[in-house]
Amino acid sequence: MSAHSAFYDPRRWWADLAGVWQDTRLIVVTAQIAAIYAAILIPFKAGIPIIPGFVELRPANAIPIVASLLFGPAAAWGAGIGNIIGDCFGTLGPASLFGFLGNFFFGYIPYLMWGQLGWLSSGQLPMVKSWRQGLEYGLICVVASGVCAGIIGWGVELLGLLPFIVLAPAIFFNNIVMGLFLGPPLLGFLYPRVQRWHLRYEDIRPSFVPSEQGADFYQTSTSEHDALNHGAEAQTNVPLLACREFSFSYATRTTPALRNITFTIDPGEFVMLLGRSGSGKSTLCYACNGLIPHMIPGACSGAIQVCGEDTRALPVWRRAEQVGLVFQDFETQLIGTTVGAELRHPLEYREIPLTFHKMNGRMAHALSSVGLDVDLDRDPMRMSGGQRQRLVMASVLVQEPPLVILDEPSSDLDPVSRTQLRQTLRRLRDDGLSMLMTEQDHDDLQLADRVIVLDEGNIVWDGQPAMLLRDPDLMRQRGIRPLALTECFENLGCDPLPLTLEEAWAWTEKLHLILDPPAEVVDDSVRIGKPASSRDGPTDPIIQIEDVSFRYEEEPVVQDITCIIYPGEFLALLGANGSGKSTLARLLNGLLVPIQGRILVDHLDTRMTSMNELAKRVGVVFQNPDHQIFADSVWDEVAFGAKNLGYSQEEIAIRVCESLLAVGFPVEQSGSLDPFSLRKGERQRVAVASILATRPAILIFDEPTTGLDAPETDRMMTMIRDLHRDGHTIVMITHSMRLVAEYAQRCLLMERGRIVADGSPRDIFHDSTLVSRASLEIPPVSRFSQRWGYTLLTVNEVKASLKPRT
Amino acid sequence: MTVSLYLNYKTWVHRLDGRTKILVVLGFFLLALCFSHPAYLLSVLALVLIGLGVAQAGVNVRKIWALAALLVCYSIILWPFFVEGKTPVPIFHVLGVTWEGCMFGLGMGIRLLIMVWGGVWLLSTTTIEELTQASQRLGLPSRVGFTFSLAFRWVGILLGAGVGVIQAQRSRGLDISSGSIIERVRKYVPLVVPLIGHALRQTNLLAMALESKGFHPTVHRSCLVTGKMQRPDYAVLIFLGFTIGMSGWMRWQGIGTLEIGF
Repeated sequence: MSAHSAFYDPRRWWADLAGVWQDTRLIVVTAQIAAIYAAILIPFKAGIPIIPGFVELRPANAIPIVASLLFGPAAAWGAGIGNIIGDCFGTLGPASLFGFLGNFFFGYIPYLMWGQLGWLSSGQLPMVKSWRQGLEYGLICVVASGVCAGIIGWGVELLGLLPFIVLAPAIFFNNIVMGLFLGPPLLGFLYPRVQRWHLRYEDIRPSFVPSEQGADFYQTSTSEHDALNHGAEAQTNVPLLACREFSFSYATRTTPALRNITFTIDPGEFVMLLGRSGSGKSTLCYACNGLIPHMIPGACSGAIQVCGEDTRALPVWRRAEQVGLVFQDFETQLIGTTVGAELRHPLEYREIPLTFHKMNGRMAHALSSVGLDVDLDRDPMRMSGGQRQRLVMASVLVQEPPLVILDEPSSDLDPVSRTQLRQTLRRLRDDGLSMLMTEQDHDDLQLADRVIVLDEGNIVWDGQPAMLLRDPDLMRQRGIRPLALTECFENLGCDPLPLTLEEAWAWTEKLHLILDPPAEVVDDSVRIGKPASSRDGPTDPIIQIEDVSFRYEEEPVVQDITCIIYPGEFLALLGANGSGKSTLARLLNGLLVPIQGRILVDHLDTRMTSMNELAKRVGVVFQNPDHQIFADSVWDEVAFGAKNLGYSQEEIAIRVCESLLAVGFPVEQSGSLDPFSLRKGERQRVAVASILATRPAILIFDEPTTGLDAPETDRMMTMIRDLHRDGHTIVMITHSMRLVAEYAQRCLLMERGRIVADGSPRDIFHDSTLVSRASLEIPPVSRFSQRWGYTLLTVNEVKASLKPRT
Repeated sequence: MTVSLYLNYKTWVHRLDGRTKILVVLGFFLLALCFSHPAYLLSVLALVLIGLGVAQAGVNVRKIWALAALLVCYSIILWPFFVEGKTPVPIFHVLGVTWEGCMFGLGMGIRLLIMVWGGVWLLSTTTIEELTQASQRLGLPSRVGFTFSLAFRWVGILLGAGVGVIQAQRSRGLDISSGSIIERVRKYVPLVVPLIGHALRQTNLLAMALESKGFHPTVHRSCLVTGKMQRPDYAVLIFLGFTIGMSGWMRWQGIGTLEIGF
């Protein structure tokens, strides 16, 4: 039910509408609604013309009504702005003003009317689950659609462009059809989720009120804060960041996310925060710059001071010059349409504005600090992922904060971008910047001065990185993957354990060891459980790629590819970003059709076979599971593909159960569990299950471990290995040389759209020039073993091969 | 994915101040509204075409020529049935079609072209950033301008995500081209929900990121990059003012308008 009674009070209308512009979250929601409206308007068409070539049925026309019932006045502004953005693709003119007004009311009237229709009101939430809700919704649709069509039609006729009697009914019909047939299912899917995410209009306004419990703790902490400040003034060496007995519980959870955290960061210090998913790393980052408790409600105690001031003393936006924060999802932080706009934006909200000259100086310095040499007019969307990451860092550095916090900056980056990030961090550290960085893995650990390990909200370790790296047991207990080289020398009596290749070689000398791989290592039995050369079952190929090429517009992406894949193979597709791996995967399941050559999948030519037929043979698990998850429950999500292929209800039920078991998901919970509420690793498994329900013999995984922590990565790869052992042919696109080394039987190395190598991982890793040309790195274990002329791939192979020198 | 009609050329039109370009486009619209006679509207259209030529915006004109041509056809075909004139057209006079009505339809088609191509001229020569800055200097509240540019940025992200969504759902057998109208409309749910979910998941994070960088709606935004009017700007605005003044006077005198009724 709508939480307002503004319908009959125009003064409340204006207060509501103006209030949108006073709150950051509402401004963001407004922008997102506008973007969603325009983004759906452009590519999605139902293919049913109303005025041929000019007006046709578009799903976007359901968005204003749905958004209005979810987000209130923000939807009104968003729908209006979205319409103008849509016009910016070629029809911007004076009629756009009427388009803005028409869509504005289209997005405002439903919010005003719901629950205000007297005896016609359903008295329930704005969804269509009962006939009364349906009646109320239908009436509101008619009124809102009519007002929108009337305003636009009248305005366009006033301008003399088209008669009212032609355009207005067309717009009305478009709005009504989409509103009545697409609106209710959209509301049904979105309302519960928006409610759970606390993003409904009534949840956002008033925004971020601390809970009562939080307020009590806050009162207690204020006195602690005063004591802390007095104490700080007395000290001569004030740490840059001081965290004292800080605890925090989210408002929506009972278990504390942080417990009695105490640590400091001195000026110029680089501290790394390690821990598995859910250990509290991001929560601590948010607390250090004041997002907790100013923007994230919950109960907190203790205190955090930055530059001698309690983080709760000032709002977050006043603290930007003291603490910069680079979020894990850096794409979200990009707000400008050019590099220059991105860097200027933070500087435009300073209390004391900068001069033009100083602004330019800061921007140039920020860009050089992160090693980004690009034009200020460059569109960030045309930059690589790594460049965008560094642009976000520059936009934080441009404020020149003494402390920068980075939350898992490398989690979504490819190897080239990770290397560039590492160089940037080294440069910033050498420049004396204080940094607090969180990670799940050990890759950049040696850059840090100090490492803190979090587990279940507690600090469980605090010390030198080298000491942690030399304790692989501790790392494993805390869900952090140890260094492979260190693991190789565990239980050999080495103290300290080696961290680098040089140290590892030195230990082999000291212990009088040599590398002598036994036969079962050389033939891959140790690595993958059976000799790589063995092939079970028939030798008929399951995929034949014959001289295939493909291009996007004029740019060749895949060139002259010829390859055969046999049933039961586990094949890894390796290569730098832009090498054509994902395009090749999309060619295999018919999403793309080759412009030259042909692809036979199970003897079917993909050019002449429907996607539904190919879906029964080839399943593609895309990198981002959120691009496909939409259903109310895990069960419905997994059943979706099988339903589209026309199977009976009984058959669908059998397939769904099998698929959920195959991915280790509890079948009994699947009917009630909302896939949107799951963690990323779980959502990824649901996505895999939904593909398995169509029972394809071939499974293609596109970067299946992106964004997953070490335990989740292991779970995902174990599941893929089990699927392989069950008889599926696996094609895995990945950047991770470690995963290729541990799981793949065969590798295809791609470079600029061509296959440059096809062989076992051992053969490919042996050629270091080939691998580095593809912007990849040979794993340390392989480099270690190449000293003796062998290319070993895993820790177990090295352990099985290290023998005393005779 | 980029979502702009902007063409990164270095013509003198591109170098005009953003405010000048917005005022010129508004001037085009005003000129188009001054006249209803096709001959006079053609002269305004000629101005717009010269502007497009100088801006080297041919590629954008080609992108939308089919839509523009269709709209002109609709105008020519439909308006004669809705306006009254003095001179009936043989055969069609039973439907109330007159030569004045046909002229009016042609004129409105040309007016439509002026408005559409005028908008294309502005978008071809002005970046979104310039547009929002210039709008703010002309009186648009900075928060609205910021929201507009943020939304524009997000359109690109969502269009890219939209491609991924379509591919993922097609790979699971979704076929949106088959079925009745209602079935086809409902098939958009698995396409639209992931896209909206993707955007809304970022809401809190984006709001936190904005405030972490110092943004707040109540904080005054100082425009650090302010364009300055140069001589070409003043020359263009003087020419525009003169043209609008002349056109206004002609309109007042009844020159360039058709005598019709509705």
